[in-house]
Amino acid sequence: MNTENVRILNRIVEINISNVKYADIELCGNTCFVGTNNFGKTSLQRAILFFYSANSRGLGIAQSQKSFEEHYFRYENSYLVYEIATEEKNFFVMVYRHNKLVFRFVDAPYDADFFFNANDEAMKIKEIISGLEKRGIYISNQIDTFERYRNIIFGTETDKQLAKFHLLKGNEKYQNIPKSITNVFLSSKNSIDSRFIKDFIANSLTTENSSIRLEQVERQLRQFNEKYTDIETFIKKETQQLIELIDKKYDQVHLLKGSQMELADKLGSSLRFAESQNEAIREASKKKEEELEILTEDHEKLISEIDNKQGNVREEIGYYDKSIRDANKRLRDYKDKNIEEAVEKNAEREKLQVEQNIARREYESLTSNVASIELKYASLLEQLRNDKMAYINTINAKTSEIFNHYNELQLLQKNEFNKRESELKTKREEAFSEVNAEVTAKQIEFNELKSDEKVIRNTRFYEAEIKNIETELAELRAISYKNKSERAIKQNMVQTLQREWEAIEAKLKTSLSNEVNRTNGEIIKIKNEIKDIESKLNVQHDAFYGFLEKNVKDWHHTIGKVVNEKLLFRTDINPELKEETLKTLYGVSLNLESVDVVSKSIEEYQFEKNERLALIRDLEEALNAFQTSNNEEKMLAADKYGKQLGEFKEDVKVLSYSLDLADKREKKLMIELEDWQMKAGGEVEQSLSGNRQRLNIVEEELTLLNKRKNNLVDDFNRQLDQLKVYSEERLQDLKSRQETEISELEVEKKNQVKEFESKEEEISKEKETNFKSKGVDSKQLKQVEMRLKEVQEALKEIDQYAQLVSDYLKDKRDIFDKLPDFIQKKEEYVKSNNELTAQAEETTRKFNLKRMELNKQKRAFDEELIEFNNGVNFYSNNFRETPVYAKYSEIIERAEAKRTNYNIMDLCTQLLKNDSHFNEEYGAFQRYVNDFSGRFRLDNHFNFIIRNDATQAEYERFAQNLRSFINENKIELSIAETATQIGLVTDSIATKVKELSGQKDKIQHIITLIAEDFKKAEFEESKLIEFIKIKIEESDNKVYKLLKRIEEFREEHGLIYNEGLFNTDFATGTKREISGRAVKLLEQLRSAIKEQEQEEIRLQDLFELKFNIKEGMNETGWTHKIDSIGSTGTDILVKAIIYITLLHVFIKESSHRSSKDFKVHCIIDEVGQISAHYLRELLKFAKNRNIMMINGLPNKSGLESHYKYTYQFRKEDSGNVRIFPSIVTEVEA
Amino acid sequence: MTAEDFALPRQTHDIFAIMARGHFISSNGTKDNMSRLYDIINQEENFPRLQAYFNVIKYNIERGNNYFYFSRINEGNSLIEKKLETFERYIDVIDLFASMDNKITIGSRFRPAEIAEECNANVRLKQKLQKIPMYRSETMLNKVRDICDLMARDSYLELEDENTESYKVLDSYNYLMDVINAISIYEESTGTDSNSSGIIYN
Repeated sequence: MNTENVRILNRIVEINISNVKYADIELCGNTCFVGTNNFGKTSLQRAILFFYSANSRGLGIAQSQKSFEEHYFRYENSYLVYEIATEEKNFFVMVYRHNKLVFRFVDAPYDADFFFNANDEAMKIKEIISGLEKRGIYISNQIDTFERYRNIIFGTETDKQLAKFHLLKGNEKYQNIPKSITNVFLSSKNSIDSRFIKDFIANSLTTENSSIRLEQVERQLRQFNEKYTDIETFIKKETQQLIELIDKKYDQVHLLKGSQMELADKLGSSLRFAESQNEAIREASKKKEEELEILTEDHEKLISEIDNKQGNVREEIGYYDKSIRDANKRLRDYKDKNIEEAVEKNAEREKLQVEQNIARREYESLTSNVASIELKYASLLEQLRNDKMAYINTINAKTSEIFNHYNELQLLQKNEFNKRESELKTKREEAFSEVNAEVTAKQIEFNELKSDEKVIRNTRFYEAEIKNIETELAELRAISYKNKSERAIKQNMVQTLQREWEAIEAKLKTSLSNEVNRTNGEIIKIKNEIKDIESKLNVQHDAFYGFLEKNVKDWHHTIGKVVNEKLLFRTDINPELKEETLKTLYGVSLNLESVDVVSKSIEEYQFEKNERLALIRDLEEALNAFQTSNNEEKMLAADKYGKQLGEFKEDVKVLSYSLDLADKREKKLMIELEDWQMKAGGEVEQSLSGNRQRLNIVEEELTLLNKRKNNLVDDFNRQLDQLKVYSEERLQDLKSRQETEISELEVEKKNQVKEFESKEEEISKEKETNFKSKGVDSKQLKQVEMRLKEVQEALKEIDQYAQLVSDYLKDKRDIFDKLPDFIQKKEEYVKSNNELTAQAEETTRKFNLKRMELNKQKRAFDEELIEFNNGVNFYSNNFRETPVYAKYSEIIERAEAKRTNYNIMDLCTQLLKNDSHFNEEYGAFQRYVNDFSGRFRLDNHFNFIIRNDATQAEYERFAQNLRSFINENKIELSIAETATQIGLVTDSIATKVKELSGQKDKIQHIITLIAEDFKKAEFEESKLIEFIKIKIEESDNKVYKLLKRIEEFREEHGLIYNEGLFNTDFATGTKREISGRAVKLLEQLRSAIKEQEQEEIRLQDLFELKFNIKEGMNETGWTHKIDSIGSTGTDILVKAIIYITLLHVFIKESSHRSSKDFKVHCIIDEVGQISAHYLRELLKFAKNRNIMMINGLPNKSGLESHYKYTYQFRKEDSGNVRIFPSIVTEVEA
Repeated sequence: MTAEDFALPRQTHDIFAIMARGHFISSNGTKDNMSRLYDIINQEENFPRLQAYFNVIKYNIERGNNYFYFSRINEGNSLIEKKLETFERYIDVIDLFASMDNKITIGSRFRPAEIAEECNANVRLKQKLQKIPMYRSETMLNKVRDICDLMARDSYLELEDENTESYKVLDSYNYLMDVINAISIYEESTGTDSNSSGIIYN
């Protein structure tokens, strides 16, 4: 029963708790529990501790053990009841399990009847509540949380109904009390080490979360460091060079692959085409051969027909030619014989006949008178004349004989000549016709060759190929033109987007730097205010303020209303308390009720400081948020523009690539076209050269033939001429002999005739003389005679040519008059012959053309067939089994049958050749990729990783991703992220360090109080412990030191906005330097964390505690460890004293100044080894500090006599533990 | 003369510790901050200082393609011979590595199991592997492991991930390739001079 009018945990009652059915233990004095191990001593002590801590997890129950709830509250009628004694009336609080542990406060002293029914069975909570309500006892609502319970017990509950159920009135730090009590209980088993004391103090001051988890820091640092290393590796010159190489090689590899695929496709198409066309081409070739045969047959038939016709015509021509020639010859002969004159004269024959008759009659009439004379003379004359005539006739006969003879000889000669001439001519004709036939044949050949040349010249060789290439070229150029313009547009877009992006980046950067400046300005301002407040708080102890706090009650309501704030914190005004002036102002009393208080309490200052700190935090958070959102915006922009830019750049690249390809293709096609054209030209030239050679030969042969012909002509002409000359000479000779003989005869005749004529003249003269004598006009007679003679002469002459004229006239009628007809006909036949020749030539030309065309077609088919077969054979023998086939088999096998410009063999060879080149290039590409990815960590954040057994596709994807990475400028994003990260990491470290080191002041304060308390301790009586001293020193924890340096760094440089993290465009010298230092510091911290292998930095790592204890003659000196002071008992004592001191200090610090009348328990288990003397000392030491001890003893040893209550534990057969009071009397304390 | 007189980088000791063991410092190494050490040696102002400093103790820094190593000034013939002996077995190893389907080049990452698997599937490679003298290696995988281990110890490879047993080929591998490329094999001359046959290390 509490008799001291103080508040204290008076009693604890266990109902169905663990294996205790019921236990009612009084606690309002030092209490000890006696019992062997495992009887439930510690469980009971935990139950007591639970009253203070109300934290089922902080009771030192091992993880492997059942939880507090499980172990203690096994039944629904398990109750823990704590009765609290107060100044007036006791109340109790009961704990029970309603799913979780809950509390109810009951405004009445504990009474077992409240819980048990008539059968002594514990009731259920509902029954208990209704029982209490029936009794009219106040029972609180169910308190669900430990926090609320503690608020009530430690007097900070605002609910008036519950406010009275407090053990003590705690301040805002009241949590330290349950923590301290818990810590004493939990650390009581450990040896005494300053570390535990440190832990104790620190644990009492901090919450579970107020440590710096190094694992987390290390993780953040590692993440930052890894990213930093990745970026550093990326921006290295060597890496950049590798990127360029990869990009270039990828393009090459891609190009090669593309061309290989194209070739493979062409090969496939060619193969399919060859397979599908083989039979068709064979058929086509055969058909062409047949066509050729038919053509030749037709042609030969036609030519022979024309030849026949020409033979007939030639015969006709020969006939007419001969007729014309004969006629002409005869004409010439007639002409030579003066035929025209002869004919003319012949025409006068009849006229002359008439004239002769007239003259004859005239003569007869004249001579009629002298007929006899006349007759005599006439007969004489006649005789003479007859003689003369006979002579003339004889001579003439002789002449004519000679004439005829020679004429005959001449004729013979002429015939001979003609015969020889005609023989020669025939020979000549024969030779001529022979040569001419040859010439004609050659001429025909020549003409054929000429027309062939014309055909060749007009033939476009490889027309299809050239046309295909030309078409492809035209298409290619059109596409290239389109692509060029598209590329120009896209490049423009890229520039525009780049500019836009840069503008946005610049805007974001400016806004961020403005925000950073603004926030830093504000933070500096607030920091100055904080400094001001801190300076006030620091001096308040020694200032007027401290004096008032200590010495003047409620000064805030008096002096606080009138005093100047500055005055309050002056330390040089030496305030003194004078009773007489109390409640007056220099003796003047003022009614200050309506005056507002201007002074502020320490808490208010603290609050203001905290408020400003929070403001800074808010500002920093806002800045962080701004930075994050700025970054996000940046990222959004990067995402938006980067992606677009990337796409456009990729497009530009693709277009450039395709333009390059097109360019290359165009060049290739141009070369191919030139090749084809040259080939075509070559083909023409080749054909022409063959043709020309033949032409030249034929021409030469023709010349030779013409020469031969001319020689022949010359020869024959010469022979003819010789013949002619000989014949003419012979004729001339004959003629001259004829003429000589004739002239001789003529001379003879003339002479004889003259003789006859002179005789005749004589006779005539005689006659005339006779006539004259008879009167006949001899003159007239003579005239008539003369005329008659003339006529006779003329007739004679005419008669001479009569035969010739008659022949001529006959020939004229039969031949000469028909000559124009002959010529006409001959010309007609010649013309028709020419026509036939032309026809034959034309037919041959046409035939040759057609034959050539057919031959060409057939040759093309044959060549194609050979090429196909060779290609297919080459493919089967030299390509099908190679790995290149395996690589492109799908494309080859899937290709459509199509004619290509390439032959299979070339395609196979090219593919094989290219493949080895491709392999070389690909090897280099792989090497570069491996080298590049090998420069980065295995798990680099860019994901630049390639397996050694990666496929080609994976390598290519790698290069593509790398390209997009570059195009989208992702490195800038990464840099920005990493820069933000370093800011966040330093910021988070700084905040944590600040938070933690903010509590260092509290520690300093506590240590000061403890030191003071130690001083106050009275160890005089026993003299066993002379003194216990404690002091605080700076921590030598390397990690903490680095953390602190980072915090200072952060303080010095404000929020590190690390755009200068890398040597990029953003970087400025100062920023780089600061960033460099930050990075270095973080790296040092990381290695220190690794080295130190510490999980967290707690409050206790911030300082070092040192003790100096003197026990008897032993002084430990300033040391961390205090376990070697003396015996175990001494150690336990010292430890307990220190704990009690700590507890006392904490209780004092954490309870309201007004709340003084309360006592708490200090639970220290196992004090069995302490001597009775020491125990007494200890209990006294505790009592002086309003602390009741609860200790455990293994057995009764007399020590229990020093406690007010002693309880014994006994295990019953049922396994239940019974706790019962031992009957002892308190000796002291 | 002290280290300070040379204005040496802070990491000089680390550099010495690695290279004095006959190891390489490769630019793509990650263990022991190797790439950073490479950068430090590679820095224009550092290299001559380090060279001068190490020359005092008769070491010369040799610069390879992205790697550094020490050579001794006035190296004794016995040391050269020893180096050659060490190198001899690498000829077969490099031959094996170069004959793999997935060629092992600088920066390649691979697991011994992959190589063993490939050797197992390819008789030619299997023979090459068998030719490499490694004692105590019973299975093919163990042999490859031993080779990798040896190469990692000689700092040609780096065990990047112990869990997956993933190795990375370091830039120092170039050294092996360079030496291999420097070997010239020539036809045996008509003379019987024993010195005139075999391989020559340039």
